[in-house]
Amino acid sequence: MKLEFKLAFKNLFGAKLRTLLNVFVLSFSFVIIIFLNSIMDGWDQQAQKDSVEWEFGEGHLLHNDYDPLDSYTILDGHGEIPKRSIGMTPVLERQASVYPQGRMIGVVLKGIPSDQKILKLPTKKLNQNKDEFPVIIGKRFSESAKLKKGDRVQIRWRDKNGTYDANTIIIEEIFDSNVPNIDNGKIWIDIEKLWKMTGLENQATYFILDQNFRKGPFDSWTYRSKTTLLKNIKDLIDQKKASQSVIFGLLLAIALLAIFDTQILSIFRRQKEIGTYIALGMTRLRVVRLFTIEGSVYSIMALIFGSIYGIPFFIYMSKAGFPIPPADQKLGIAIADVIYPVYGLKLILLTILTVIISATVVSYLPARKIAKLNPVLALKGKKQ
Amino acid sequence: MKKNILFFTFTIFLSLYSSAQTTNNEKALEIIKKIDNNMFSKTQIVTSEMIVYGKRKKRIIRSKGYSKGKENNYTEYLSPEREKGTKMLKLDKRLWIYSPSTDRTIQLSGHLLRQSVMGSDLSYEDMMEERKLSQVYTAEIVNEEIYLDSPVWIMQLTSKVEGLAYYKRTLWIDKNKFVPLKENLYAKSGILLKTTTFTNIKKIDSRWFPMKMNYKDMLKDGKGTDFIILDIAFNTKIPDNYFSKNILKK
Amino acid sequence: MIKFIFKGILRDKSKSVIPLAVISVGVMVTVIMSGFLNGVFSDVINQNAKLDTGHVKIMSKPYFENKEQLPNDLALLEIQELIDSLNLNYPDLIWTPRIKFGGIMDVPDKEGNTKSQGPGIGLALALQNSKSDELKRLQLSKSLRKGNLPAESGEILLSDNYAKKLKINPGEKITFFGSTMEGSMVFQSYKMVGTVEFGSPLMDRGTFIIDIEDAQNLLDMENGTGELLGYFKDGIYNDQKALVISNEFNSKYSKSQDEYAPVMVTLKDQNGLRESLDMGDAFSGIFIFIFILSMSLVLWNTGLIGGLRRYNEFGIRLALGESKRNVFKLMMVEATIIGLIGSIFGTTLGIIFCYYLQEYGIDISSDIENSTIIMPSVMRAYITSDLFYVGFIPGLFSMLFGTALAGRGIFKRETARLFKELEV
Repeated sequence: MKLEFKLAFKNLFGAKLRTLLNVFVLSFSFVIIIFLNSIMDGWDQQAQKDSVEWEFGEGHLLHNDYDPLDSYTILDGHGEIPKRSIGMTPVLERQASVYPQGRMIGVVLKGIPSDQKILKLPTKKLNQNKDEFPVIIGKRFSESAKLKKGDRVQIRWRDKNGTYDANTIIIEEIFDSNVPNIDNGKIWIDIEKLWKMTGLENQATYFILDQNFRKGPFDSWTYRSKTTLLKNIKDLIDQKKASQSVIFGLLLAIALLAIFDTQILSIFRRQKEIGTYIALGMTRLRVVRLFTIEGSVYSIMALIFGSIYGIPFFIYMSKAGFPIPPADQKLGIAIADVIYPVYGLKLILLTILTVIISATVVSYLPARKIAKLNPVLALKGKKQ
Repeated sequence: MKKNILFFTFTIFLSLYSSAQTTNNEKALEIIKKIDNNMFSKTQIVTSEMIVYGKRKKRIIRSKGYSKGKENNYTEYLSPEREKGTKMLKLDKRLWIYSPSTDRTIQLSGHLLRQSVMGSDLSYEDMMEERKLSQVYTAEIVNEEIYLDSPVWIMQLTSKVEGLAYYKRTLWIDKNKFVPLKENLYAKSGILLKTTTFTNIKKIDSRWFPMKMNYKDMLKDGKGTDFIILDIAFNTKIPDNYFSKNILKK
Repeated sequence: MIKFIFKGILRDKSKSVIPLAVISVGVMVTVIMSGFLNGVFSDVINQNAKLDTGHVKIMSKPYFENKEQLPNDLALLEIQELIDSLNLNYPDLIWTPRIKFGGIMDVPDKEGNTKSQGPGIGLALALQNSKSDELKRLQLSKSLRKGNLPAESGEILLSDNYAKKLKINPGEKITFFGSTMEGSMVFQSYKMVGTVEFGSPLMDRGTFIIDIEDAQNLLDMENGTGELLGYFKDGIYNDQKALVISNEFNSKYSKSQDEYAPVMVTLKDQNGLRESLDMGDAFSGIFIFIFILSMSLVLWNTGLIGGLRRYNEFGIRLALGESKRNVFKLMMVEATIIGLIGSIFGTTLGIIFCYYLQEYGIDISSDIENSTIIMPSVMRAYITSDLFYVGFIPGLFSMLFGTALAGRGIFKRETARLFKELEV
């Protein structure tokens, strides 16, 4: 085997230009496949991270009567906070109407402890203005409702008995999150204030869970794990990945075409050499192996060559990030403006393996012909 | 939805009548009794028009409503063509709507009652409010003034039980005719939510009655909704079957 | 002379078959790649265009300003007249009205009383009008979970989750309860014929799809619509054209006294798509450039090897007295012919394949359950004019370049040496 490798390297280095071209093309495939996949993984991780940090925490515990997809369940879908509620951050939802510039917009008031740390929401701001009704809203809602930081706007809600109440809220902060769910039509307020406003003391619609949460007998509450909550994101990314795999396929195809092409012609041209190997006592199988290895060595060289320009490129991209269209945000799934690629070991190894194996296969296919050659004619250089 | 305005008017009269027994204010009691003598009736049959000012055009909807006490009301829509034959029945806390085109009766319950009635300034719940104001509000005269050339008492009603849509109400009551000319509805915080104005006060069978009302959500832009009474009859006997679900058929 | 070369190419298969095959495959792959990338980057456009934005969208001015609230009281009226004039002025586009509206769906029990009810958002589109292509556009049949698509007026589709929540099955009656454009109370019963999945929790929670004419009747919007979407007839968004059209259209109405005058916005000017799509275009361009570069290298390699292989032949020809220049010239003519044939063949094959992908797509999931309206599992390519040269030019020139590189050898080497390479 060692001899084959030695010979293969010698042969390849001998044919400088051709080898360089093949290696160059193949290395492109390497770099691009790894890069695009890492973007998808980066997106995946970012979307998951954002969703966890802004919305899901380590999971949710929902009141049994509450369905997050049905706003009509907000009215009755709440209950008293269980006594042993470790690792649970309560959120209380109430429907309300705001009246910016005389228009009425239905919203969901979301009460959350202002000292919470589980979500990245700037809830500390909710505590800074004692006399007012300070609230925070997201940038999307701020745009669609035409509300700016510092704006005051009338809000009308009902207390637990259904009595109307109204007041003026002040937009204390506009947060910038990639998660549309916590933004569109949502107004965040201190839960203690919401309890007072509605008379629903110590009530919650759902809990955001953290590491300390232990599943227990929470009878009127339903547990939703982080994985369940993240399923939508995963589905979308899997779909995107599938369409990318076609690009990889085509890219790899062209690189392999180059190798295949080179192999066919080199076997054609080097018949005399093949004849000599056989004459010197090499079995045909061994010659086939030699040529196959020569082909697959391209992929090893491509790997090395690709690393030379690929690694600095990867490092640069992981720092600079890759801008991504915000258009998919309508889907209600967290997508950042800039995605930082994530280079997984598994991804890199898998790509390397794929390229090496496929390069070996396309090298082997034309080399099989060698086994059928007549060594005498080959030695003479007769084209067969 | 035109119904509800009638409900309100009705509710106010009724509450003023009964709240007289609970207020310590002698004068308030006297006023309310007079209003009662003037306005209260066991049943009402009202033909009315509701004028909704849309952004582009106004709509006029005509209906005939039958009510018995506060709990029972049946309304049938007369025009326009689209609305004709639609029936609405309210019995206690339940509300049904019947549509002739689909031959369906739909009961509105729970969360749906809190929805705005077809984009109007009222929710179904608003129009279903049925507890006597006397039982739930305390009343007092807070001022006297001249309102639109008429001398009025200004009376304030404050909720004394929980669960009312409006915590506070203010009424302007004509001193001579004993009818309200204006009503403000307030949130708990004191913010004005809605205003009703009563005009075109006419004498019908020895009673003074406002024949036109305007109902407006004060937080929203717009002209609100007009409600005009074309014909009203008091204390006429209404058959019981008008207040049963059987009426909600073709 | 050309005839002679042709004969040479045809008779000496080693001269032609492999380079031809390689060029064809390389060019074809490039064309497919470009077409496919067009398709991938059109995904974002398409998702938005088909569901929401159209390629251009016409709304009344006040509707446009409050579009988040689905303000149908501000809808466009007299749209047939508008569509007629649009068809006349902009024949490249097809116009289709859409209405979005809210209301309550109510499912009756046997006695006709309410069994279940819940709020929903209606999406009204031209389902019954076969000219509108709306069914195809939204690929509703692919996203169908239960039942059938509406075949006639009075039939309705529900999002799958909504149907589950309302506990209704295809074939059952459902009543819409809401308000007309002007706010009148309205009831209408429909036959629920099927359920679809959108693939977005936002839309799956409570969406129903009805025919536009049903919606116009229902909402008292005769000859009116909330939104009028325009689609280019070739199905591909052309930003420049869209901008020209929208500017022209809007300037016509800019002085209109009508408060409800129509305004036209392009796809890119909605939902913040402009920046993202421009970036997508740039990315796609870079990607194709890299790909073409790689492909050129392969083809150059082919030309090079093809030339090197024939040193013997050149040796004999030189020995026979042919001038070096002539040998080189013939070689280049041959390469041009081979490059041309290969490139034409490859481009043709590539475009045929792209066309197939454009019309039928590849279903990437074996399981049809995964296909939804927003995330169709079918991947498509798009044929644009650049596909005709994106593979062809590099195909031809890299072949020539490679051959020329190999041909250097003819001039560098001595005739005798070349002849010597002719060993028997």
